[in-house]
Amino acid sequence: MRRAFLIVFLWMALGAGQEVPLSPVPADALGDWAQAMVPLRLRSTPAQEVQFEGPKLLLAQWGEVTLGMARFALLLGVPADGEAHLWIDLDRDRRIVPTERLTPLRGPGYVEWNATLTFAAGTEYPLGVVWPEGRGYVYLVGGAPRVGELNLDGLVARFVLVDGDVDGVYGTKGDFFAVDADGDGTIHGDPDSHERFALAEPFTVGGRSFRVSSVEPQGRSVRLASTGYVPPKPPLLPGFPAPDLQFASFPDGKPISLSGLRGKVVLLDFWATWCGPCMEELPKLLELYAAHRDQGFEIVGVSLDTSEGDLRAVLASRGVGWPIAFAGKMWDNPLAQVYRVYQIPTTYLLDRDGIIRYRDLAGDELARRVAELLQAPVSGPARAPEPLPLSLGPPRPILEIAVPPEVGVPDDGKGSVPVRLVNTSPYDAEEVRVALAGLPAGAKVSGVELARIPPFGEREVELGIELPAARGEIARATVTVLYHYCIGDSCFQIGDEVPVALAVGEGKPPSAGIPMWWILVVLGAGLLLAALLRGRALLGVAILLVGLAGVSLAVGLLRGQGVQAWRIASSLCTSCVGIEEVRAEAPAFTPAQRAALEALPKPVHLVLFSTDWCKSCPYAKALVAEAARLNPKITYELVDAEADWTRAEGAGVVRSGKVVVPALLVVPTGRILFGTTDLPARLVAALGEVR
Amino acid sequence: MRLRTLRRGTQGLGVLLGVFGITGIGMTHLLFPGLHCYACPLAITVCPIGLMQNLVISGTLPFYFLGAIAVYGLALGRGWCGWFCPFGTVNDLLAFRKVRFLRALSPLKLLVLGGTVLAAWRLADTWFCKLCPAASLTASLPYLGLGVAQVNTPFLLHMATLGAVLLGMALVSRFWCRYLCPMGGILSLFNRASLFGLRLGAGCTGCGACTRACPMGIVPHREINSSDCIKCGECVPSCPTRALSIGFSLPGVRGRDPLRPARARPGAHGVPPGQ
Repeated sequence: MRRAFLIVFLWMALGAGQEVPLSPVPADALGDWAQAMVPLRLRSTPAQEVQFEGPKLLLAQWGEVTLGMARFALLLGVPADGEAHLWIDLDRDRRIVPTERLTPLRGPGYVEWNATLTFAAGTEYPLGVVWPEGRGYVYLVGGAPRVGELNLDGLVARFVLVDGDVDGVYGTKGDFFAVDADGDGTIHGDPDSHERFALAEPFTVGGRSFRVSSVEPQGRSVRLASTGYVPPKPPLLPGFPAPDLQFASFPDGKPISLSGLRGKVVLLDFWATWCGPCMEELPKLLELYAAHRDQGFEIVGVSLDTSEGDLRAVLASRGVGWPIAFAGKMWDNPLAQVYRVYQIPTTYLLDRDGIIRYRDLAGDELARRVAELLQAPVSGPARAPEPLPLSLGPPRPILEIAVPPEVGVPDDGKGSVPVRLVNTSPYDAEEVRVALAGLPAGAKVSGVELARIPPFGEREVELGIELPAARGEIARATVTVLYHYCIGDSCFQIGDEVPVALAVGEGKPPSAGIPMWWILVVLGAGLLLAALLRGRALLGVAILLVGLAGVSLAVGLLRGQGVQAWRIASSLCTSCVGIEEVRAEAPAFTPAQRAALEALPKPVHLVLFSTDWCKSCPYAKALVAEAARLNPKITYELVDAEADWTRAEGAGVVRSGKVVVPALLVVPTGRILFGTTDLPARLVAALGEVR
Repeated sequence: MRLRTLRRGTQGLGVLLGVFGITGIGMTHLLFPGLHCYACPLAITVCPIGLMQNLVISGTLPFYFLGAIAVYGLALGRGWCGWFCPFGTVNDLLAFRKVRFLRALSPLKLLVLGGTVLAAWRLADTWFCKLCPAASLTASLPYLGLGVAQVNTPFLLHMATLGAVLLGMALVSRFWCRYLCPMGGILSLFNRASLFGLRLGAGCTGCGACTRACPMGIVPHREINSSDCIKCGECVPSCPTRALSIGFSLPGVRGRDPLRPARARPGAHGVPPGQ
């Protein structure tokens, strides 16, 4: 009976969501993006003992390919014939025999071999090995894409899962997926494409949003769960409108927006002074700009420099006259994030309507296309700028950083600084780099990089330090934390810092320490004993449990879980307790509602109260943005109800001491619309009350 | 003061804790170990099950939840269910039919707890809250009155769960506490090791009067402080020989071992053999 219950519950808990069966597909059938390439360093000795039964080699370099739990020895050797050959221990018997030599494909400067490796109960993994001749490493070319179909009430979208880190296990870090989200029959899977997603990233198909809830490790299937609506990523393809960018021009601070340049042919150029090809192109751009500026040609440069001085020098010496955006954040420049820039130079050529026409043009081809677009008839007056779907206000830090104000370092100067990072938001903090800055000369420090800190999650890291300072001296330093997070399509880079004092000669060598989760294990064991023991033994277990309870409570409180409890309980997100369902579909108005919105005679201002973790809020935001797009008389603003409690209270969004989100205030009438159920109809009705 | 009167008082206090917001006290950091919805407009304490789900969703080990529950559990065990839990009080109000406990269904509440954790972990959602009858009663209905909630599918689902659970309570006393409550499930693990508990003294004749009085449908004189005992004390006044008593004492030294039948009649000094 109990077993039956357990099975039913496990089935219900794990079996929810849509399962998409996947099958292998050749990467060539999809495109280069479906292949993943990772470098593998070669060594003079094999990682495990392997016997080579081939010809005598003049040069032998060993490597190892790990797929799942299977390890394949790889030998790159040059026998007496002088040609490079590759052997892979395909049957993993630790003997490389002559038949395990692969057939080479020789190209200019490289040699390529292709093999199919079999591991884990017959799983076949096509793997390419590319050796740039003369180098001590090879590239493993894998990815083994697997394709399936996502079926949504008759709408079928192709889904591709790629083993991006070439480890033979799907669902691990570096793996990604791509979906034909726009239904055009082609999967755009390039790194900056609108149809490529990291595993944890939600995606929207047919107006409904999903996330990958689980991945079968051998890639046989993925399970998708419905999730709160997220706006689809804007395509960056020719023919699509270019996402708007707004910035203060460097160095004069003049406000510039792409939408404000409608009517001009615009070259959007992502570049940096340290990028050779960009600097080679610069004289041609200057020439082109001088020739066509008067005819309505404009260049918008987004600099990915980190050094303001370098940029200033280049702009002044070359006489660059077009607006430049500079944030000093390299790849994490927020404007570059909007365009998902992953390589420079990246350029987009926009026509007079702000539509992307070409990308990555240079030289004569660029000049020809600019002239062609300038001659094209102007298709009408510049359109009103479209409101951004999400607030792109100043990015706020989402990680709380806790560092002891003073850290003792043993006499030998070797110690560590514990840093606790708590994600206070519902977004992933990604590529979190923790380092120490401002240390005296000669000090050594080892930084730490975390791939991600999940929403509301926390991580503890130790920064190793080696100080030359003498005993009793206190060194001042700064813990710097650099990371980024994304809200929908908008990603933000945050650099945060906390001061720390390092006192040499006052610390103790770090002890191994007991991981905190042991508390839970011992607590569980104690409860088990409590169920079995009796008499004084039970009393002893009870006393042990009291101690554990106290420790667990203290650990929880020290980790800020008490505050977290209060935060969770003092806000009411309407979908979280099931007052309404989370909307996974895109907001849409019916034709009649659209007509009513467009006919709205008077200006109306809307205020949307939301919190950054509320699951229904992106839907409400997208709906308000759509209403404002349909009728420019509708204006709106987004207010963080937790941050601006006074305003929320004044507007009536706080009910019985709890802030309720999402809540939409129609300013002229003071009417508040809570939640998202029937929100399009309720919004139209509320706007109809405005006289 | 009669035991039952005292218990009605503490149960009233438990209900009041849920609506202390009327006094102007806002939400606190405190967990209250009874099933109540912290989304309730007037709640001032945090629901442990709701918090646990949110902590699991955020990928955090719920130390605060476990520590607080262990402290509460070691104090009263399931006594919280019998003496303070607001939803337990609702159960008591509908306890018309005291039927025998169906032991096979006992692990259901631990499975509900496990399912809740699993759903939070795998599906990243608070699925228990979306079905919780306490939330139906103290969040969905009040918010409908406040104009925040609408009659929609989740609301109807809440009402359906509430209706089914209320019907269950009317047919089987303490139906929710017996078989389904995840809060009761986790507190039940501490039941034997808690300070508060029943004691079985000399004079038990095994007449079965306590069994007839027990709202949980267990056999108190054989199963004192077992995981299904909510320590409500209903059995205490029912005992014709006054062999049962309730109060605070050290676990393990207060009476016959609950999970084992008595091998001999209790001795004259009130402590059964084998302890």
